[in-house]
Amino acid sequence: MVGIVLISHSKGLAEGAAELAGQIAGGARVFPAGGTDDGRLGTSTELIGAAITAADTGDGVLLIPDLGSAVLSARSVLAELDPEHGGKRIMLVDAPFIEGAVAAAVAASGGLDLEMVASAAEEARDARKL
Amino acid sequence: MPANSEPQHTTNTAQHVTDLAERVVILPKHLHARPAGQVAQAAARHQATTIELVSGNRRADARSVLAVMALGAVTGGEVRVIVAGPDATVVANDIVGLLERPDTDE
Repeated sequence: MVGIVLISHSKGLAEGAAELAGQIAGGARVFPAGGTDDGRLGTSTELIGAAITAADTGDGVLLIPDLGSAVLSARSVLAELDPEHGGKRIMLVDAPFIEGAVAAAVAASGGLDLEMVASAAEEARDARKL
Repeated sequence: MPANSEPQHTTNTAQHVTDLAERVVILPKHLHARPAGQVAQAAARHQATTIELVSGNRRADARSVLAVMALGAVTGGEVRVIVAGPDATVVANDIVGLLERPDTDE
């Protein structure tokens, strides 16, 4: 199953979003990577790397960042990891944080592949709430 | 496709059979996030099958959990389940089952 890592500046936001996505998409593998190493607001390449390792079962991992510098941190982790290492693929996707996490988690738990899970997250941008 | 106004019919092509199925569910509970997720998970497992939910004047591709949630379908409301593709009847029954017996705590 494709794993999902939610990268947020806030530990609480990442954990809450992962909890919500995991509840809606029972069985999904959603891992939070929020805040700095000591729990302050910010992002941590170490936490992101650890979440990727936890999420990775060999079917790929999708990274969903919340805002600007979460993207920078994710990119620096990817640069060190080599996204194609061992045939395991890791993708960073441009998607709304909550809606993208929920849509991706449902797609992943339904058994879709990494590209389709990424598409589900991206399409969340066009979904209207009202 | 043959001209056929029956609600359920079968079209034979060289390689496969396309079934159509349509069912109506009266929701026992609001269509909350978790049942919407279950419907979308089921839809994801049937990639070759098109599954659409209709509630009032809104339509949702069942594969999109966000679209299903945005139907805003409430208790007692009617949801039409329209399925086209392989095993349409079985898939429709699965979706109807999830809508009629949501495993949810709100």
